[in-house]
Amino acid sequence: MKDTFSTYHPAVNFLYFTLVLLFTMFFMHPACLGISLLCAFCYSVYLNGKKALRFNVKYMLPMLVVTALINPAFNHEGGTILAYLRDGNPLTLESITYGIAAAVMLITVICWFSCYNAVMTSDKFVYLFGRVIPALSLILSMTLRFVPRFKAQLKVVSNAQRCVGRDVSNGSLLQRAKNGIRILSVMVTWALENAIETADSMKSRGYGLPGRTAFSIYRFDRRDKNAMLFLALCGGYILSGTLMGGLYWRYFPTMKGVGLTPYPASLYFCYLALCLMPVVINMKEDRKWKAIQSKI
Amino acid sequence: MKQHKGKIIAAFLILCVLAAAYLWGGNYAGKDTPYQAETPSGTVMTENSPSSELPELPELLEVEGAKSLAEAPGDLGARGEAAETGTDKNTPMPNAAVKPAETENPETSAPSQDDQWKDSSKGVSDGSVSYSEEQGMILDAETNKDKYLTDPVPEGKPVPVEPQDMTPGEAAYAATLSVRCDTILDNMKHLDKEKVELVPEDGVIFPATKVTFYEGESVFNVLQREMKKAKIHMEFRNTPIYNSAYIMGINNLYEFDVGELSGWMYKVNDWFPNYGVSRYQLKEGDVVEFVYTCNLGRDVGGHYATRGEE
Repeated sequence: MKDTFSTYHPAVNFLYFTLVLLFTMFFMHPACLGISLLCAFCYSVYLNGKKALRFNVKYMLPMLVVTALINPAFNHEGGTILAYLRDGNPLTLESITYGIAAAVMLITVICWFSCYNAVMTSDKFVYLFGRVIPALSLILSMTLRFVPRFKAQLKVVSNAQRCVGRDVSNGSLLQRAKNGIRILSVMVTWALENAIETADSMKSRGYGLPGRTAFSIYRFDRRDKNAMLFLALCGGYILSGTLMGGLYWRYFPTMKGVGLTPYPASLYFCYLALCLMPVVINMKEDRKWKAIQSKI
Repeated sequence: MKQHKGKIIAAFLILCVLAAAYLWGGNYAGKDTPYQAETPSGTVMTENSPSSELPELPELLEVEGAKSLAEAPGDLGARGEAAETGTDKNTPMPNAAVKPAETENPETSAPSQDDQWKDSSKGVSDGSVSYSEEQGMILDAETNKDKYLTDPVPEGKPVPVEPQDMTPGEAAYAATLSVRCDTILDNMKHLDKEKVELVPEDGVIFPATKVTFYEGESVFNVLQREMKKAKIHMEFRNTPIYNSAYIMGINNLYEFDVGELSGWMYKVNDWFPNYGVSRYQLKEGDVVEFVYTCNLGRDVGGHYATRGEE
């Protein structure tokens, strides 16, 4: 499956992820959290397939449970006392629900970031911000790329060491530790040298100098304009709705907030449409592609 | 110049953010009203039915006002005595277990002892080393504090008893317990707006009631049992350094809910102990009051001014 949303203009991608991440981090309304979690899960599975599904079930689910359980153990605020813990502090309904909400928010944000990494490649990021903040955007893109590159290089180095019998899987415990340290030292040297090389090469190409142009294959066409308009409208409506208290929800001291009356419901719907935008675009494109294919 | 335009703008933006944080942050309820014994005392309340407190308030005010005036010279005398002994270089520190934000104390640099006691609330008096040691407090020779950082207690007041040393018994006694937050009523605009509904109209969360306690129990044991019984929320945290529980919130009104100088304090027989709730062993007929302060104890008469570390 090809991700059509990635082929949109970087500005569209970036605006989408900024909006979605910010809204997820700031909206603690249960409906918003549920919508965001659902959409993040769908999109990550669409993007990364089985790998994302495995990751979500294997790491995200336990993380959700643990985070949700930790909160009531340390936070005893709330008006509805369910029971008393052994140390004498109350166990409250509010602390439990807040724990669940915070846990959902945490894993949703992680899930969104996994999508972000798949869509916003470093060239897109540098294209967007290379002109405005050249140094910072280079650093950001290098840092973001660091972990995957480091992992790949680690594999190369450790395979090479294994060939000469000096991998962490060879020898006695002391020997293994020695080998491990050697590999680490190789990796650190490589990382430092690599960073300097990148910086030197960027400098020799005149990166960040005024008057320098950069080739890019991105065009802002009508499709992007429509997507941008949609994002701006949805984002603006949701933002104004929040400022007017349309997504109000509090957990402490007692849970209270807006329910399912028409106005908040319109906000939820708008939020759902915003979060689902890439999935909908992709599905539409898939169907179109299939239709064209079958005609041939 | 043009090269550094971005940097200058960035520095300016950071300055703006810092200035905004300084101006907006810290909802300090700074109405610095001296304590005038305006709150009805628990002793008087117990003689009447708790429901009739409000109408009697004016009367109580007069009684209390007169009482505090009458007591004032005595207090001064006691303080003079303490100064005469010359051994009392110590300063009672803010109560470990019921006083928040010690570091926020603006009087940390008060130079001399006289100034220091002027800044403390009326009724808060200096501790007496000789008396405290007589009563069994083991004080450090250098700092004049016991091993849980408690200063000596004033004469005539009970010294702290460690919770692990309290021997529980069967004999039942009676004490009076009340929980009030009427100082919040004067500082409503600083109160977390989600918590406005939690403040009772008269500020009484738990009216003065005769409660039973058993031999060897501390103020904390009684508070915990009664709050559980009355289904009032109460959260505490054990602080090993002061060997006591710290009351974080009662009825979901927490420390710092009315500005950064707010929190729960307790007094027994109209004295704010300078040690934690778990270390105050109750006696028959004690009157225990938990009061919410919005101003580090100044508004309830339990402010301990401190000097910095010596």
